[in-house]
Amino acid sequence: MSIQKLSSVLATTYENFPKGRFITLVVLRTTHSETIFRTEGSGEPMCSEFVQAGLEGENQKTIIQRLVMTKRKQIAPERRYGREHLRAHELLYTNSKDGSLCSLNTNSPCEMCVDCFLYGFAAGGGGAQKSRIWTEDAFSILPASDVVGDRTINAIYENGTMRDEKSNASTALNTSEYIKPGVHFLDVVTLKDVTADELRYVVGNILFTSRYGAVSSRVGRMENQILGVFGSITELPSSLELVQATYDVLGKPLEHPLNSNQLITASQQAIANWRNRRGVSVHLSEAELVNLIADVETHWSEAERDSFLKRLSQSYESFRQVAAEKKKTKSKGKNTPVEVES
Amino acid sequence: MSTIPFQQAKLIELYCLEPVFFASRELSDTYYTEGVIGNYALTYALGLVNSPYRLQGQATGRPTYKEDLQPIARDFYILPASPLDKIAFRFERFNALSDAYWYSMTNNRVATAREDLPLQRQGKKPNSFRPSNFPQTGKLRMIERGNRFQTLVFGNSQLPDYIRLGKFMSKVKVNILNESSVNLLPEGEYQSQHYLNATDLPQQLETLAFDLISIPPAPIIKNLRFRGCAWQIDETIIPADLHFCGRGSSNE
Repeated sequence: MSIQKLSSVLATTYENFPKGRFITLVVLRTTHSETIFRTEGSGEPMCSEFVQAGLEGENQKTIIQRLVMTKRKQIAPERRYGREHLRAHELLYTNSKDGSLCSLNTNSPCEMCVDCFLYGFAAGGGGAQKSRIWTEDAFSILPASDVVGDRTINAIYENGTMRDEKSNASTALNTSEYIKPGVHFLDVVTLKDVTADELRYVVGNILFTSRYGAVSSRVGRMENQILGVFGSITELPSSLELVQATYDVLGKPLEHPLNSNQLITASQQAIANWRNRRGVSVHLSEAELVNLIADVETHWSEAERDSFLKRLSQSYESFRQVAAEKKKTKSKGKNTPVEVES
Repeated sequence: MSTIPFQQAKLIELYCLEPVFFASRELSDTYYTEGVIGNYALTYALGLVNSPYRLQGQATGRPTYKEDLQPIARDFYILPASPLDKIAFRFERFNALSDAYWYSMTNNRVATAREDLPLQRQGKKPNSFRPSNFPQTGKLRMIERGNRFQTLVFGNSQLPDYIRLGKFMSKVKVNILNESSVNLLPEGEYQSQHYLNATDLPQQLETLAFDLISIPPAPIIKNLRFRGCAWQIDETIIPADLHFCGRGSSNE
Protein backbone atom coordinates (compact mmCIF):
# COMPACT_ATOMS: atom_id res chain seq x y z
CA MET A 1 0.00 0.00 0.00
CA SER A 2 1.98 2.95 -1.26
CA ILE A 3 -0.56 5.47 -0.03
CA GLN A 4 1.10 4.86 3.36
CA LYS A 5 4.33 6.20 1.96
CA LEU A 6 2.58 9.52 1.52
CA SER A 7 1.29 9.57 5.10
CA SER A 8 3.73 12.31 6.16
CA VAL A 9 2.14 14.68 3.67
CA LEU A 10 -1.44 13.49 4.10
CA ALA A 11 -3.86 15.01 6.58
CA THR A 12 -5.53 12.63 9.04
CA THR A 13 -8.72 14.64 8.87
CA TYR A 14 -10.01 17.79 7.21
CA GLU A 15 -8.92 20.87 9.14
CA ASN A 16 -9.84 24.45 8.47
CA PHE A 17 -6.32 25.87 8.60
CA PRO A 18 -3.55 25.06 6.14
CA LYS A 19 -0.64 23.02 7.44
CA GLY A 20 1.84 23.11 4.58
CA ARG A 21 1.29 19.63 3.16
CA PHE A 22 1.62 19.52 -0.60
CA ILE A 23 1.03 16.58 -2.91
CA THR A 24 1.99 17.17 -6.50
CA LEU A 25 0.61 15.05 -9.32
CA VAL A 26 2.35 15.14 -12.68
CA VAL A 27 -0.35 14.43 -15.24
CA LEU A 28 -0.03 13.62 -18.92
CA ARG A 29 -3.19 14.48 -20.83
CA THR A 30 -3.44 13.03 -24.34
CA THR A 31 -6.19 13.91 -26.80
CA HIS A 32 -7.86 10.84 -28.30
CA SER A 33 -10.14 12.69 -30.66
CA GLU A 34 -10.54 16.14 -32.11
CA THR A 35 -10.67 18.58 -29.22
CA ILE A 36 -11.60 22.23 -28.92
CA PHE A 37 -10.12 24.59 -26.32
CA ARG A 38 -10.91 28.22 -27.01
CA THR A 39 -11.92 31.17 -24.88
CA GLU A 40 -13.32 33.61 -27.41
CA GLY A 41 -16.33 31.76 -28.76
CA SER A 42 -16.95 29.65 -31.85
CA GLY A 43 -14.96 30.35 -34.97
CA GLU A 44 -12.08 31.80 -32.95
CA PRO A 45 -8.65 30.20 -32.90
CA MET A 46 -7.57 27.69 -30.26
CA CYS A 47 -6.22 28.88 -26.93
CA SER A 48 -2.49 29.31 -27.39
CA GLU A 49 0.45 31.20 -26.05
CA PHE A 50 3.91 32.23 -27.24
CA VAL A 51 6.46 30.80 -24.82
CA GLN A 52 10.11 29.74 -24.68
CA ALA A 53 10.50 26.34 -26.29
CA GLY A 54 12.84 25.03 -23.58
CA LEU A 55 14.97 26.03 -20.65
CA GLU A 56 18.48 25.38 -21.96
CA GLY A 57 20.75 26.36 -24.83
CA GLU A 58 19.14 27.20 -28.14
CA ASN A 59 15.73 26.10 -26.90
CA GLN A 60 15.80 28.94 -24.40
CA LYS A 61 16.03 31.51 -27.19
CA THR A 62 13.48 29.86 -29.47
CA ILE A 63 9.96 31.14 -29.04
CA ILE A 64 7.14 28.83 -30.10
CA GLN A 65 3.38 29.02 -29.91
CA ARG A 66 1.99 26.28 -27.66
CA LEU A 67 -1.59 25.20 -27.14
CA VAL A 68 -2.98 25.91 -23.70
CA MET A 69 -5.53 23.89 -21.78
CA THR A 70 -6.61 26.45 -19.20
CA LYS A 71 -7.02 25.53 -15.58
CA ARG A 72 -10.78 26.00 -15.51
CA LYS A 73 -11.18 23.68 -18.48
CA GLN A 74 -9.51 20.96 -16.42
CA ILE A 75 -11.17 21.40 -13.07
CA ALA A 76 -14.77 21.83 -14.28
CA PRO A 77 -15.27 18.43 -15.95
CA GLU A 78 -13.25 16.68 -13.24
CA ARG A 79 -15.31 17.96 -10.36
CA ARG A 80 -18.48 17.32 -12.35
CA TYR A 81 -17.37 13.71 -12.71
CA GLY A 82 -17.06 13.31 -8.95
CA ARG A 83 -20.40 15.02 -8.43
CA GLU A 84 -22.12 12.54 -10.74
CA HIS A 85 -21.25 9.82 -8.28
CA LEU A 86 -22.06 11.89 -5.21
CA ARG A 87 -25.48 12.43 -6.75
CA ALA A 88 -25.90 8.75 -7.59
CA HIS A 89 -25.02 7.72 -4.03
CA GLU A 90 -27.18 10.46 -2.54
CA LEU A 91 -24.31 12.32 -0.94
CA LEU A 92 -25.27 15.79 -2.15
CA TYR A 93 -27.05 17.82 0.51
CA THR A 94 -29.89 20.27 0.25
CA ASN A 95 -29.08 23.92 0.61
CA SER A 96 -30.32 25.42 3.89
CA LYS A 97 -31.55 28.64 2.28
CA ASP A 98 -33.93 27.48 -0.40
CA GLY A 99 -33.99 23.73 0.08
CA SER A 100 -32.61 22.97 -3.38
CA LEU A 101 -30.15 20.18 -4.01
CA CYS A 102 -26.47 21.16 -4.21
CA SER A 103 -25.56 22.17 -7.75
CA LEU A 104 -22.84 24.15 -9.45
CA ASN A 105 -23.39 27.77 -10.46
CA THR A 106 -26.93 28.16 -9.21
CA ASN A 107 -26.22 30.16 -6.08
CA SER A 108 -27.03 27.19 -3.90
CA PRO A 109 -23.97 25.18 -2.86
CA CYS A 110 -24.90 22.85 -0.01
CA GLU A 111 -21.60 23.63 1.75
CA MET A 112 -21.62 20.09 3.15
CA CYS A 113 -20.85 17.59 0.40
CA VAL A 114 -17.47 16.16 -0.55
CA ASP A 115 -17.26 18.44 -3.59
CA CYS A 116 -17.97 21.59 -1.56
CA PHE A 117 -15.33 20.67 1.02
CA LEU A 118 -12.66 19.74 -1.51
CA TYR A 119 -13.11 22.01 -4.51
CA GLY A 120 -14.70 24.92 -2.62
CA PHE A 121 -17.54 27.35 -3.19
CA ALA A 122 -18.02 31.10 -2.92
CA ALA A 123 -21.62 31.92 -3.65
CA GLY A 124 -24.20 32.77 -1.05
CA GLY A 125 -23.97 34.87 2.07
CA GLY A 126 -23.00 32.11 4.45
CA GLY A 127 -19.27 32.08 3.81
CA ALA A 128 -16.85 30.53 1.41
CA GLN A 129 -14.57 27.54 1.11
CA LYS A 130 -11.22 27.70 -0.64
CA SER A 131 -10.36 24.99 -3.08
CA ARG A 132 -7.64 22.63 -1.95
CA ILE A 133 -7.11 21.41 -5.51
CA TRP A 134 -4.84 23.78 -7.41
CA THR A 135 -4.59 23.37 -11.14
CA GLU A 136 -2.40 25.06 -13.70
CA ASP A 137 -2.65 25.91 -17.34
CA ALA A 138 -1.30 22.88 -19.20
CA PHE A 139 0.81 23.27 -22.34
CA SER A 140 1.24 21.16 -25.42
CA ILE A 141 4.74 19.81 -26.07
CA LEU A 142 4.63 20.59 -29.77
CA PRO A 143 3.99 23.99 -31.35
CA ALA A 144 0.36 24.88 -32.06
CA SER A 145 1.01 25.09 -35.80
CA ASP A 146 1.90 21.36 -35.85
CA VAL A 147 -1.11 20.09 -33.95
CA VAL A 148 -4.03 22.27 -35.02
CA GLY A 149 -6.21 21.42 -38.01
CA ASP A 150 -9.21 22.95 -39.76
CA ARG A 151 -12.61 21.39 -40.23
CA THR A 152 -15.48 22.61 -42.33
CA ILE A 153 -18.82 22.02 -40.73
CA ASN A 154 -21.97 21.91 -42.79
CA ALA A 155 -25.27 20.98 -41.25
CA ILE A 156 -27.53 19.54 -43.91
CA TYR A 157 -31.32 19.46 -43.77
CA GLU A 158 -33.20 16.24 -43.12
CA ASN A 159 -33.66 15.74 -46.85
CA GLY A 160 -29.90 15.31 -47.07
CA THR A 161 -29.07 18.49 -48.93
CA MET A 162 -28.05 22.03 -48.11
CA ARG A 163 -31.44 23.31 -49.33
CA ASP A 164 -34.72 22.89 -47.47
CA GLU A 165 -38.12 22.05 -49.03
CA LYS A 166 -38.66 25.69 -50.00
CA SER A 167 -35.17 25.56 -51.57
CA ASN A 168 -33.69 28.10 -49.17
CA ALA A 169 -29.94 27.63 -48.87
CA SER A 170 -28.57 26.57 -45.50
CA THR A 171 -26.39 29.07 -43.70
CA ALA A 172 -24.96 26.38 -41.48
CA LEU A 173 -21.55 26.35 -43.07
CA ASN A 174 -18.52 27.15 -41.02
CA THR A 175 -14.85 26.47 -40.69
CA SER A 176 -13.48 25.81 -37.27
CA GLU A 177 -10.09 24.99 -35.78
CA TYR A 178 -9.57 21.87 -33.76
CA ILE A 179 -6.76 20.14 -31.89
CA LYS A 180 -5.67 16.91 -33.53
CA PRO A 181 -5.91 13.55 -31.77
CA GLY A 182 -2.69 12.35 -30.13
CA VAL A 183 -1.60 15.73 -28.79
CA HIS A 184 0.15 15.66 -25.42
CA PHE A 185 -0.37 18.19 -22.65
CA LEU A 186 1.83 18.03 -19.56
CA ASP A 187 0.34 19.26 -16.35
CA VAL A 188 1.08 19.76 -12.67
CA VAL A 189 -1.79 19.43 -10.17
CA THR A 190 -1.20 20.45 -6.55
CA LEU A 191 -3.27 19.09 -3.66
CA LYS A 192 -3.12 20.84 -0.31
CA ASP A 193 -3.81 19.22 3.07
CA VAL A 194 -5.86 16.36 1.67
CA THR A 195 -6.60 13.11 3.48
CA ALA A 196 -5.95 9.66 2.00
CA ASP A 197 -9.58 9.28 0.95
CA GLU A 198 -9.66 12.78 -0.52
CA LEU A 199 -6.53 11.90 -2.51
CA ARG A 200 -8.27 8.78 -3.84
CA TYR A 201 -11.30 10.86 -4.76
CA VAL A 202 -9.29 13.50 -6.65
CA VAL A 203 -7.03 11.00 -8.42
CA GLY A 204 -10.16 9.07 -9.40
CA ASN A 205 -11.72 12.21 -10.85
CA ILE A 206 -8.60 12.88 -12.91
CA LEU A 207 -8.21 9.31 -14.15
CA PHE A 208 -11.86 8.70 -15.01
CA THR A 209 -12.76 12.01 -16.61
CA SER A 210 -12.65 11.47 -20.34
CA ARG A 211 -14.06 14.53 -22.06
CA TYR A 212 -12.88 18.11 -22.02
CA GLY A 213 -13.45 21.36 -23.85
CA ALA A 214 -16.23 22.55 -26.12
CA VAL A 215 -18.86 20.29 -27.73
CA SER A 216 -17.74 17.51 -25.43
CA SER A 217 -20.70 15.31 -26.34
CA ARG A 218 -19.18 14.97 -29.84
CA VAL A 219 -15.47 15.63 -29.50
CA GLY A 220 -12.98 16.28 -26.71
CA ARG A 221 -12.02 12.72 -25.79
CA MET A 222 -8.94 12.79 -23.60
CA GLU A 223 -6.91 10.25 -21.64
CA ASN A 224 -5.20 11.18 -18.40
CA GLN A 225 -2.19 9.41 -16.99
CA ILE A 226 -0.33 10.10 -13.78
CA LEU A 227 3.43 10.11 -14.33
CA GLY A 228 4.63 11.09 -10.89
CA VAL A 229 3.54 11.81 -7.33
CA PHE A 230 5.55 13.98 -4.96
CA GLY A 231 5.05 14.95 -1.35
CA SER A 232 6.60 18.19 -0.14
CA ILE A 233 6.33 21.27 2.02
CA THR A 234 6.51 23.63 -0.94
CA GLU A 235 5.19 23.84 -4.44
CA LEU A 236 7.10 22.21 -7.26
CA PRO A 237 7.83 23.69 -10.71
CA SER A 238 5.01 24.78 -12.96
CA SER A 239 3.43 23.01 -15.92
CA LEU A 240 5.24 25.37 -18.25
CA GLU A 241 8.65 24.60 -16.77
CA LEU A 242 7.84 20.89 -16.91
CA VAL A 243 6.93 21.10 -20.59
CA GLN A 244 10.06 23.11 -21.33
CA ALA A 245 12.33 20.72 -19.41
CA THR A 246 10.76 17.75 -21.20
CA TYR A 247 11.22 19.49 -24.54
CA ASP A 248 14.93 19.91 -23.72
CA VAL A 249 15.28 16.20 -22.95
CA LEU A 250 13.46 15.15 -26.11
CA GLY A 251 15.95 17.06 -28.25
CA LYS A 252 16.05 16.61 -32.04
CA PRO A 253 13.42 18.10 -34.34
CA LEU A 254 10.05 16.79 -33.21
CA GLU A 255 6.95 16.20 -35.23
CA HIS A 256 3.35 15.17 -34.67
CA PRO A 257 2.39 12.47 -33.75
CA LEU A 258 4.83 12.20 -30.88
CA ASN A 259 5.63 8.75 -29.58
CA SER A 260 3.94 8.48 -26.18
CA ASN A 261 6.52 6.18 -24.64
CA GLN A 262 9.41 8.41 -25.65
CA LEU A 263 7.59 11.36 -24.20
CA ILE A 264 6.87 9.57 -20.92
CA THR A 265 10.53 8.55 -20.57
CA ALA A 266 11.61 12.12 -21.28
CA SER A 267 9.23 13.69 -18.79
CA GLN A 268 10.19 11.15 -16.14
CA GLN A 269 13.79 12.13 -16.70
CA ALA A 270 12.79 15.78 -16.34
CA ILE A 271 11.00 15.20 -13.03
CA ALA A 272 13.64 12.84 -11.65
CA ASN A 273 15.70 15.72 -10.27
CA TRP A 274 12.65 17.28 -8.60
CA ARG A 275 13.16 14.82 -5.75
CA ASN A 276 16.31 16.74 -4.79
CA ARG A 277 14.52 20.05 -4.72
CA ARG A 278 14.13 22.05 -1.55
CA GLY A 279 11.27 20.77 0.59
CA VAL A 280 10.55 17.51 -1.23
CA SER A 281 10.20 14.57 1.16
CA VAL A 282 8.43 11.84 -0.83
CA HIS A 283 8.72 10.70 -4.41
CA LEU A 284 6.78 7.59 -5.37
CA SER A 285 8.74 5.07 -7.40
CA GLU A 286 7.23 3.56 -10.51
CA ALA A 287 6.05 0.45 -8.65
CA GLU A 288 4.57 2.54 -5.86
CA LEU A 289 2.76 4.66 -8.41
CA VAL A 290 1.23 1.55 -9.99
CA ASN A 291 0.16 0.50 -6.48
CA LEU A 292 -1.42 3.86 -5.81
CA ILE A 293 -3.41 3.78 -9.06
CA ALA A 294 -4.54 0.22 -8.27
CA ASP A 295 -5.57 1.37 -4.80
CA VAL A 296 -7.61 4.22 -6.30
CA GLU A 297 -9.23 1.90 -8.82
CA THR A 298 -10.22 -0.59 -6.10
CA HIS A 299 -11.84 2.15 -4.05
CA TRP A 300 -13.77 3.40 -7.09
CA SER A 301 -14.78 -0.13 -8.16
CA GLU A 302 -18.40 -1.19 -8.28
CA ALA A 303 -17.98 -3.26 -5.13
CA GLU A 304 -16.37 -0.59 -2.98
CA ARG A 305 -17.48 2.72 -4.43
CA ASP A 306 -20.55 3.11 -2.25
CA SER A 307 -18.75 2.48 1.03
CA PHE A 308 -15.75 4.54 -0.08
CA LEU A 309 -17.79 7.63 -0.99
CA LYS A 310 -19.93 7.30 2.12
CA ARG A 311 -16.86 6.97 4.33
CA LEU A 312 -15.34 10.06 2.71
CA SER A 313 -18.57 11.99 3.14
CA GLN A 314 -18.83 10.79 6.75
CA SER A 315 -15.37 12.19 7.51
CA TYR A 316 -16.77 15.75 7.33
CA GLU A 317 -19.57 14.98 9.78
CA SER A 318 -18.11 16.86 12.74
CA PHE A 319 -17.61 19.97 10.61
CA ARG A 320 -21.21 19.87 9.45
CA GLN A 321 -22.40 19.70 13.03
CA VAL A 322 -20.41 22.77 14.00
CA ALA A 323 -22.19 24.76 11.32
CA ALA A 324 -25.57 23.40 12.38
CA GLU A 325 -24.99 24.28 16.02
CA LYS A 326 -23.98 27.82 15.13
CA LYS A 327 -27.24 28.28 13.35
CA LYS A 328 -29.11 26.95 16.36
CA THR A 329 -27.51 29.45 18.71
CA LYS A 330 -28.41 32.22 16.33
CA SER A 331 -32.05 31.25 16.27
CA LYS A 332 -32.17 30.87 20.04
CA GLY A 333 -31.45 34.55 20.37
CA LYS A 334 -29.03 36.71 22.26
CA ASN A 335 -29.19 34.80 25.54
CA THR A 336 -26.84 32.07 24.48
CA PRO A 337 -23.51 33.88 24.99
CA VAL A 338 -24.50 34.57 28.60
CA GLU A 339 -25.14 30.89 29.14
CA VAL A 340 -21.69 30.08 27.83
CA GLU A 341 -20.05 32.52 30.20
CA SER A 342 -21.85 31.35 33.33
CA MET B 1 12.47 56.99 15.28
CA SER B 2 16.13 56.38 14.67
CA THR B 3 15.96 52.61 15.10
CA ILE B 4 15.37 50.55 12.03
CA PRO B 5 13.33 47.44 12.82
CA PHE B 6 14.68 45.64 9.76
CA GLN B 7 18.43 45.40 9.09
CA GLN B 8 18.15 43.66 5.74
CA ALA B 9 15.86 43.84 2.78
CA LYS B 10 15.63 41.35 -0.07
CA LEU B 11 14.91 42.50 -3.57
CA ILE B 12 12.68 39.87 -5.16
CA GLU B 13 11.28 39.37 -8.60
CA LEU B 14 7.88 37.79 -9.17
CA TYR B 15 7.58 36.02 -12.49
CA CYS B 16 4.01 35.22 -13.58
CA LEU B 17 3.89 31.65 -14.84
CA GLU B 18 0.15 31.98 -15.35
CA PRO B 19 -2.21 34.90 -15.97
CA VAL B 20 -3.00 36.57 -12.64
CA PHE B 21 -6.44 37.93 -11.80
CA PHE B 22 -7.62 40.28 -9.07
CA ALA B 23 -10.96 42.07 -9.16
CA SER B 24 -9.43 45.54 -8.86
CA ARG B 25 -12.28 47.21 -10.72
CA GLU B 26 -15.59 45.91 -11.96
CA LEU B 27 -17.17 47.63 -14.94
CA SER B 28 -20.44 46.04 -15.98
CA ASP B 29 -19.52 42.48 -16.93
CA THR B 30 -15.81 43.22 -17.30
CA TYR B 31 -13.49 42.60 -14.39
CA TYR B 32 -10.24 44.53 -14.42
CA THR B 33 -6.94 43.66 -12.79
CA GLU B 34 -4.67 46.64 -12.16
CA GLY B 35 -0.97 46.29 -13.01
CA VAL B 36 0.14 45.96 -9.41
CA ILE B 37 0.14 43.27 -6.75
CA GLY B 38 -0.95 44.43 -3.32
CA ASN B 39 1.31 43.71 -0.37
CA TYR B 40 -1.47 42.21 1.74
CA ALA B 41 -2.15 39.68 -1.01
CA LEU B 42 1.57 38.90 -1.13
CA THR B 43 1.78 38.38 2.63
CA TYR B 44 -1.05 35.84 2.51
CA ALA B 45 0.41 34.20 -0.59
CA LEU B 46 3.86 33.85 0.98
CA GLY B 47 2.24 31.93 3.81
CA LEU B 48 3.30 34.37 6.53
CA VAL B 49 -0.19 34.65 7.89
CA ASN B 50 -2.67 31.85 8.00
CA SER B 51 -5.88 31.99 6.10
CA PRO B 52 -8.49 29.35 6.82
CA TYR B 53 -9.97 27.13 4.14
CA ARG B 54 -13.51 27.98 5.14
CA LEU B 55 -14.96 31.25 6.30
CA GLN B 56 -17.92 30.89 8.58
CA GLY B 57 -20.08 32.99 10.84
CA GLN B 58 -18.62 36.39 11.69
CA ALA B 59 -15.57 35.89 9.51
CA THR B 60 -17.73 36.30 6.41
CA GLY B 61 -18.77 39.78 7.48
CA ARG B 62 -15.46 41.58 7.05
CA PRO B 63 -11.83 40.82 6.25
CA THR B 64 -9.33 40.46 9.10
CA TYR B 65 -6.29 42.33 7.78
CA LYS B 66 -5.57 44.09 11.07
CA GLU B 67 -5.88 40.94 13.17
CA ASP B 68 -3.75 38.96 10.74
CA LEU B 69 -1.07 41.47 9.82
CA GLN B 70 -0.41 43.52 12.95
CA PRO B 71 1.05 40.60 14.97
CA ILE B 72 3.81 40.12 12.38
CA ALA B 73 4.32 43.82 11.60
CA ARG B 74 7.54 43.99 13.68
CA ASP B 75 9.12 40.95 12.02
CA PHE B 76 8.10 41.30 8.44
CA TYR B 77 7.14 43.82 5.84
CA ILE B 78 6.72 43.69 2.08
CA LEU B 79 6.04 46.50 -0.36
CA PRO B 80 3.38 46.25 -3.07
CA ALA B 81 4.97 44.77 -6.19
CA SER B 82 5.48 47.11 -9.10
CA PRO B 83 5.82 45.99 -12.72
CA LEU B 84 9.34 45.88 -14.13
CA ASP B 85 8.50 46.65 -17.72
CA LYS B 86 5.41 48.02 -19.35
CA ILE B 87 2.75 45.64 -18.17
CA ALA B 88 0.95 43.37 -20.60
CA PHE B 89 -2.66 42.40 -20.03
CA ARG B 90 -4.85 39.78 -21.60
CA PHE B 91 -8.60 39.58 -21.94
CA GLU B 92 -10.45 36.35 -21.44
CA ARG B 93 -14.09 35.50 -21.63
CA PHE B 94 -15.64 33.19 -19.09
CA ASN B 95 -18.98 31.52 -18.76
CA ALA B 96 -20.31 29.20 -16.12
CA LEU B 97 -22.18 26.02 -16.82
CA SER B 98 -24.40 23.91 -14.65
CA ASP B 99 -24.04 20.17 -14.15
CA ALA B 100 -27.55 19.55 -15.45
CA TYR B 101 -28.25 18.18 -18.93
CA TRP B 102 -30.82 20.91 -19.60
CA TYR B 103 -30.00 24.52 -18.86
CA SER B 104 -30.89 27.97 -20.03
CA MET B 105 -28.97 31.21 -19.80
CA THR B 106 -31.34 33.75 -18.26
CA ASN B 107 -30.70 36.99 -16.36
CA ASN B 108 -27.04 36.39 -15.69
CA ARG B 109 -27.97 33.00 -14.37
CA VAL B 110 -27.87 29.42 -15.52
CA ALA B 111 -31.37 28.11 -14.92
CA THR B 112 -31.66 24.34 -14.61
CA ALA B 113 -35.28 23.76 -13.54
CA ARG B 114 -36.92 22.81 -16.81
CA GLU B 115 -40.37 22.70 -15.18
CA ASP B 116 -40.10 26.47 -14.55
CA LEU B 117 -39.82 27.28 -18.26
CA PRO B 118 -43.59 27.35 -19.04
CA LEU B 119 -44.12 29.64 -16.03
CA GLN B 120 -41.36 31.93 -17.22
CA ARG B 121 -42.91 32.13 -20.68
CA GLN B 122 -46.19 33.24 -19.11
CA GLY B 123 -44.35 36.22 -17.73
CA LYS B 124 -44.10 34.85 -14.20
CA LYS B 125 -40.77 34.84 -12.44
CA PRO B 126 -39.96 31.49 -10.91
CA ASN B 127 -37.07 31.56 -8.48
CA SER B 128 -34.67 29.71 -10.71
CA PHE B 129 -35.02 32.38 -13.44
CA ARG B 130 -34.35 35.40 -11.21
CA PRO B 131 -31.10 37.29 -11.82
CA SER B 132 -28.05 35.92 -10.10
CA ASN B 133 -26.01 38.13 -7.80
CA PHE B 134 -22.69 36.71 -8.89
CA PRO B 135 -21.27 36.72 -12.39
CA GLN B 136 -22.10 33.79 -14.64
CA THR B 137 -20.56 35.27 -17.74
CA GLY B 138 -18.24 38.16 -18.52
CA LYS B 139 -14.74 39.21 -19.42
CA LEU B 140 -11.61 39.22 -17.34
CA ARG B 141 -8.67 41.53 -17.79
CA MET B 142 -5.74 39.64 -16.36
CA ILE B 143 -2.05 40.28 -15.88
CA GLU B 144 -0.51 38.32 -18.75
CA ARG B 145 1.73 35.32 -18.29
CA GLY B 146 5.40 36.32 -18.37
CA ASN B 147 5.03 39.69 -16.65
CA ARG B 148 7.66 40.48 -14.07
CA PHE B 149 7.15 42.39 -10.85
CA GLN B 150 9.68 43.58 -8.32
CA THR B 151 9.33 44.23 -4.65
CA LEU B 152 11.28 44.54 -1.40
CA VAL B 153 10.92 42.14 1.50
CA PHE B 154 11.99 43.25 4.98
CA GLY B 155 12.79 40.75 7.71
CA ASN B 156 14.44 37.34 7.82
CA SER B 157 11.62 35.03 6.80
CA GLN B 158 12.36 32.24 4.35
CA LEU B 159 10.59 32.63 1.03
CA PRO B 160 9.09 29.79 -1.00
CA ASP B 161 10.14 29.18 -4.61
CA TYR B 162 6.59 29.43 -5.89
CA ILE B 163 3.49 31.18 -4.65
CA ARG B 164 -0.14 31.30 -5.74
CA LEU B 165 -1.75 34.64 -6.41
CA GLY B 166 -5.17 36.01 -7.12
CA LYS B 167 -8.65 34.72 -7.47
CA PHE B 168 -7.59 31.77 -9.60
CA MET B 169 -4.55 30.79 -7.52
CA SER B 170 -2.16 31.46 -10.40
CA LYS B 171 1.35 30.15 -10.05
CA VAL B 172 4.08 32.76 -9.66
CA LYS B 173 7.81 32.11 -9.33
CA VAL B 174 9.72 33.95 -6.62
CA ASN B 175 13.34 34.85 -7.48
CA ILE B 176 15.53 36.48 -4.85
CA LEU B 177 17.73 38.97 -6.71
CA ASN B 178 19.88 40.35 -3.91
CA GLU B 179 19.99 41.30 -0.28
CA SER B 180 21.03 44.72 0.96
CA SER B 181 21.12 46.63 4.19
CA VAL B 182 18.56 49.25 5.12
CA ASN B 183 19.98 52.72 5.73
CA LEU B 184 18.20 55.50 7.53
CA LEU B 185 18.24 58.90 5.84
CA PRO B 186 17.67 62.03 7.93
CA GLU B 187 14.54 64.10 7.69
CA GLY B 188 14.22 65.82 4.38
CA GLU B 189 12.31 65.96 1.14
CA TYR B 190 12.47 62.80 -0.96
CA GLN B 191 10.94 61.24 -4.01
CA SER B 192 10.03 57.55 -3.84
CA GLN B 193 9.98 55.43 -7.00
CA HIS B 194 8.44 52.38 -5.44
CA TYR B 195 4.75 51.53 -5.11
CA LEU B 196 3.49 52.01 -1.56
CA ASN B 197 0.39 50.99 0.34
CA ALA B 198 -1.46 54.08 1.56
CA THR B 199 -2.57 52.36 4.77
CA ASP B 200 0.98 51.43 5.75
CA LEU B 201 2.50 54.92 5.69
CA PRO B 202 3.51 56.24 9.12
CA GLN B 203 1.16 58.88 10.39
CA GLN B 204 3.68 61.65 10.91
CA LEU B 205 4.73 61.48 7.26
CA GLU B 206 4.10 64.62 5.25
CA THR B 207 2.96 63.66 1.76
CA LEU B 208 3.44 66.35 -0.87
CA ALA B 209 2.37 64.77 -4.13
CA PHE B 210 1.56 61.31 -5.44
CA ASP B 211 -0.38 59.29 -7.97
CA LEU B 212 -3.09 57.01 -6.66
CA ILE B 213 -4.10 53.58 -7.90
CA SER B 214 -7.46 53.06 -6.31
CA ILE B 215 -7.93 49.36 -5.60
CA PRO B 216 -9.37 47.38 -2.72
CA PRO B 217 -8.56 46.79 0.08
CA ALA B 218 -6.17 49.76 0.26
CA PRO B 219 -5.13 52.28 -2.40
CA ILE B 220 -1.63 52.04 -3.81
CA ILE B 221 0.48 55.17 -4.07
CA LYS B 222 3.19 55.77 -6.64
CA ASN B 223 5.63 58.60 -7.41
CA LEU B 224 5.34 59.83 -3.86
CA ARG B 225 7.13 63.05 -2.93
CA PHE B 226 7.28 63.36 0.83
CA ARG B 227 8.95 65.16 3.74
CA GLY B 228 10.21 63.05 6.62
CA CYS B 229 12.73 60.34 7.39
CA ALA B 230 13.45 57.78 4.73
CA TRP B 231 14.91 54.32 4.29
CA GLN B 232 17.39 53.70 1.54
CA ILE B 233 17.94 50.23 0.12
CA ASP B 234 20.51 50.45 -2.68
CA GLU B 235 18.96 52.95 -5.08
CA THR B 236 15.47 52.72 -3.68
CA ILE B 237 14.18 55.40 -1.33
CA ILE B 238 10.99 54.84 0.62
CA PRO B 239 9.45 56.55 3.66
CA ALA B 240 10.83 55.27 6.96
CA ASP B 241 8.83 53.22 9.46
CA LEU B 242 6.54 51.59 6.96
CA HIS B 243 4.60 48.81 8.59
CA PHE B 244 1.33 46.97 8.15
CA CYS B 245 -1.72 49.14 8.91
CA GLY B 246 0.63 51.92 10.11
CA ARG B 247 -1.93 54.60 9.52
CA GLY B 248 -4.82 52.62 10.93
CA SER B 249 -3.20 51.57 14.20
CA SER B 250 -2.03 55.05 15.23
CA ASN B 251 -5.55 56.34 14.82
CA GLU B 252 -6.86 54.10 17.53
